[in-house]
Amino acid sequence: MKSRYEAAKNVFIDSIDIDDYIELSSSVTAYKQLEHSMDKPLKMILLFGRPGTGKSILLNRIQEKLKHQKEIHYFDTPATNEKEFFHKLFKVLTKQDLPHNTEVNFSALVNFCKNLRGKREIVILLDEAQMYGPEMMEKIRLISDSRSVKFIVSLHKTDDEDLIAKEHFQSRIWEVIELKNATHEDQTAYIHKKLLKKNLFEIANSIKEKDMKLIHAFTKGNFRECNKLIFTIFEICEYYDKNEPSKINYDNIPQRIIEMAALKLGYIHV
Amino acid sequence: MYDIKPLEDEWKKYNNKKRKPIYLTVLLLIGIGIGVFILFNVKEISLPEFNTTRNIVSKVDTRSSVLLEDKLTTLQIKKSELIEDIKPPVKMNVEVSKEETIPELPIVENIPILEEVKKKRITKKVYKKQVSKKIKVDAPRKKMHLNIIESSSVSAYKDVEKRFYESHDADDSLFLAKSYFRKGNYKKAEYWALQTNKVNKYIDESWLIFVKAKVKLGRKNEAIRVLTNYVKMSDSSKAKNLLLRLKN
Repeated sequence: MKSRYEAAKNVFIDSIDIDDYIELSSSVTAYKQLEHSMDKPLKMILLFGRPGTGKSILLNRIQEKLKHQKEIHYFDTPATNEKEFFHKLFKVLTKQDLPHNTEVNFSALVNFCKNLRGKREIVILLDEAQMYGPEMMEKIRLISDSRSVKFIVSLHKTDDEDLIAKEHFQSRIWEVIELKNATHEDQTAYIHKKLLKKNLFEIANSIKEKDMKLIHAFTKGNFRECNKLIFTIFEICEYYDKNEPSKINYDNIPQRIIEMAALKLGYIHV
Repeated sequence: MYDIKPLEDEWKKYNNKKRKPIYLTVLLLIGIGIGVFILFNVKEISLPEFNTTRNIVSKVDTRSSVLLEDKLTTLQIKKSELIEDIKPPVKMNVEVSKEETIPELPIVENIPILEEVKKKRITKKVYKKQVSKKIKVDAPRKKMHLNIIESSSVSAYKDVEKRFYESHDADDSLFLAKSYFRKGNYKKAEYWALQTNKVNKYIDESWLIFVKAKVKLGRKNEAIRVLTNYVKMSDSSKAKNLLLRLKN
């Protein structure tokens, strides 16, 4: 027999699927801010924040929303090398595949972009930009100088990467949008909305306010961590539901299970 | 989820660790509670002196009756008569009237005192002092116990005196007069009997003490004169008897 928690568990599998996008007050603000920045004649925009704050899904969302209005392209996976990146870029700009055994001439590409100025406005969404090396970032900047290609660079904010960001982007970036961890209210709404979206009303109702506070305390409002924790909670619930139903209360998630999940994920230690 | 059992064990450990400060706090609070309770109780034991003395008095009561008997035996007084007089008052402290006891003061000294014990808490202490004196003479081995009573009774007298000056209660002054008379402090007995008479001039007992104190102080003529006047005023049979005895 299928456990009711199985479906709930799957809701929280971490993904950047646009269908999973949850509109929260903080994400709506970030979205509007980004949309507004894109309308400005800016060359590069930096989307900044700690891992799991929703940068990727925001880029995804903006691409999905604006794809019919603008020439907007989402580079989700960073290219492993320069050649691959320029292949991708060439295809976007020229709308053609690069012939076999040929390489992109960077100067020619920049000139091509300059020629596009005033004719086309292309937006490139670069996710995980911390993976690109400094030389590569310099070339991206040169392309953006053509004013026909606008880059929105998404970057992790970690202690080390923060330094890289400062060094390589500070003088080149025109606008910075920072995404922060969710507040307790936002995270509560996020969890509820996610479950309700899949019609899991009873389970959504079984997570009480105090549980939400505990979850927020463990995950510090990070969406990715939240997904992980809730997934693990429902995984434990699923186990009990199938094997030891006496240990589970369907009306509310026992604090014990939340703490067990937190122990499993290493948020707390014995 | 295959590792649920180890996870459960880990959670139990975590939970115990988490609750440790709570348990410690509860224990600490209980400890403090017990400490406060003990402290409070100790204070209670030391503060209400009257409760303690009540117990002592009850012990002394029995003792005094025995002592009286002993004394009476040694004095070779007819035991059968005396026991009739003495024993019942020990048993039924309150029932013995003032009128009966006062003229017989030298023999049945502690009977009125026992009566007073019932009336006033402080009186008990003073009474113990009286009894303690007796025991000092008759049974020196009880010295330690009696010394304690002695020290507390001094303050009790002072308390009663202080209260009299505030309230002018004839009962207080009469009590002091009787007590001092029994202690042999006739000067003070005379003074307190006079104070009583000033407040209420119709108390037989007070006049009798006043007169007896004067006799003890060697002012027999003065005593007879005072008693004669009192007899005229009150027509008291006890006063008459005493006057007769004094004149003879």
